[in-house]
Amino acid sequence: MSTLTESPKKAKKQTRHESRIGMFFVNSWLIFFAAVSVIPMIWLLLASSKTDPELSTRNPLAFGSFKGYINAWNNLTFFDNGVIGRWVINSILYNAAIVVFATITASLAGFVISASRIRFKKTFLISTLIMMLIPPVALVIPLFVLMDKVSLIDNPLSVILISSLYPFGAFLSYIYYSTTIPPELYESARLDGCSDWQLYTRIAFPLSGALLGLLAFFAFIGNWANYFMPYVMLYSGENYTLPLGLGFLFSSTPAINPGVGATSVPIYKPEIALAGALIAFPIMVMFLISQKRLIRGMLAGSIKE
Amino acid sequence: MAKSRGYKQRNLLMMAMLAPYLFLLLAFGILPLIMAFFEVPGESLANPDGGWDAFRIVLQDFRFPAALKNVAGFMAYFVPMMIIVVIGMALMLDVKTNKWSKYLRMAYIVPASISGAVAVLVWWAIFEPTISPIRSILNFFGIDSARQIWQTENLVYLIAIMTFFSLAGNWILIQYGSLQSISTEIIEAARVDGCSAFQLAVRIKLPLIRKYVIYMAVLVFAGGLQIFVEPQLLNTGVYTGIAASWSFDQLSYELAFKSGDFGGASALSIILLIPSLIGALVVIFKTDMFDDKTIRTKKDSDKVEL
Repeated sequence: MSTLTESPKKAKKQTRHESRIGMFFVNSWLIFFAAVSVIPMIWLLLASSKTDPELSTRNPLAFGSFKGYINAWNNLTFFDNGVIGRWVINSILYNAAIVVFATITASLAGFVISASRIRFKKTFLISTLIMMLIPPVALVIPLFVLMDKVSLIDNPLSVILISSLYPFGAFLSYIYYSTTIPPELYESARLDGCSDWQLYTRIAFPLSGALLGLLAFFAFIGNWANYFMPYVMLYSGENYTLPLGLGFLFSSTPAINPGVGATSVPIYKPEIALAGALIAFPIMVMFLISQKRLIRGMLAGSIKE
Repeated sequence: MAKSRGYKQRNLLMMAMLAPYLFLLLAFGILPLIMAFFEVPGESLANPDGGWDAFRIVLQDFRFPAALKNVAGFMAYFVPMMIIVVIGMALMLDVKTNKWSKYLRMAYIVPASISGAVAVLVWWAIFEPTISPIRSILNFFGIDSARQIWQTENLVYLIAIMTFFSLAGNWILIQYGSLQSISTEIIEAARVDGCSAFQLAVRIKLPLIRKYVIYMAVLVFAGGLQIFVEPQLLNTGVYTGIAASWSFDQLSYELAFKSGDFGGASALSIILLIPSLIGALVVIFKTDMFDDKTIRTKKDSDKVEL
């Protein structure tokens, strides 16, 4: 019966308190999920620091020694005359090219669609959106046929060109430019005698820093671990990227499948784990330092933070 | 007006800036789609006379029903699991934001870097009792050999877990982000009215992020249909034969590269594209996520602050 006579100060605190038990469950679940998320990665990153027998005898999450990584790398280089080095270089080079081409073409496209008076904008936007929502994997077989017709099979250029198509990036870029630069600004600049080129260099480009970072981020994480399309396009070991190489190691070394592969090659679990870590680690680092980019990008700039 | 000639010239530069992207879009997006159609009626062993029978023939391929059963089973676990767990986690994260939330979110995003070949490696290790970080749990369930787990009939669950693991974290963060776009006034008002956290989440927040949930559901569904890498690598590198032509894309791959039947492979690719296209059209035209006016008429406070 004290509610009627409670002071205004107390009346503010009518909001319900969370049930302690409810919060306990929520928090426990959140923490459990975090542990489950992180443990496999810890295993992967630490596996190469141990020797093959140690992987079974010691705690799976224990750290071995730094020498373990060096040994694992050296063993990897025994495979096919050090082709692993080639795979690392290929991964870096192809992805650098893809990130550059994809980011530039997509950002320019987004700018043009938001700033120009070209016709067919709507068609363009819709086809870009559809391409965004179709899983890239769906087009792999037809793309193979296409690349075959232009004799680009087993040529890294096939992978680079295909991966440079970046509809998501073009869309993101369109949203970005549309929301940061009001059309009136272009109009008044045009009235002042600005050419289209100047519209880009003087207005749009100086404001593009965040967008370009975002585009490069997504282009990198989307392509670094790509498997299916490069798998279909490339067949020479020297042209493989790290993910393809890892898959190849599965089937040609005894690490995972003891019945397979030449037994003279010292590639066992720590070595394979190192190859896997080389693929996963850069992506993880990118994710951890760019969390916000992920959210903003996927929601196409429709949130504020 | 003297504008007309300048107008054409002006558009020339804009076209030039658009051209590289347009080239890529036409050459590697639209063209393959069209080519896939024309590849279908080609002659092959399965389709000796060629023609549009290729669709019927691929649907009657002896491997098709199995692939259908596998993918349907996989999707039945994978899609609901994704939607329920992801949205649930995002809502739970949003109950109370404190300094730990940031670390939790960082933890959730870690598995996203483990995909494809690396995911096969990691999951092989997790289910290998001799080296697994969860060996005590495995032993508790009486599993002392990995072979007990890696059986063809278990693949629908295993692939669902593997794919969920890679994709959930990403989406949790994205949906958490979408929850941040809900105006605080609404939340405050609800709290003052005595809403519990649960009611707040289910009655208020959830309906407000409806379009993002649909967006996610469509992408997850379309992506799930195309599952390829994990079963393929399991089949070729880990346990040969465990997953031969297990998924549609694997069947398509086999038709193209083992049987040389590009017509059949293309027919199958087109069949698979249809749900994705429908999903795409639903998101574009039935939600306002990509509406021009939604984008253009944003309030100042909604402006992108990258």
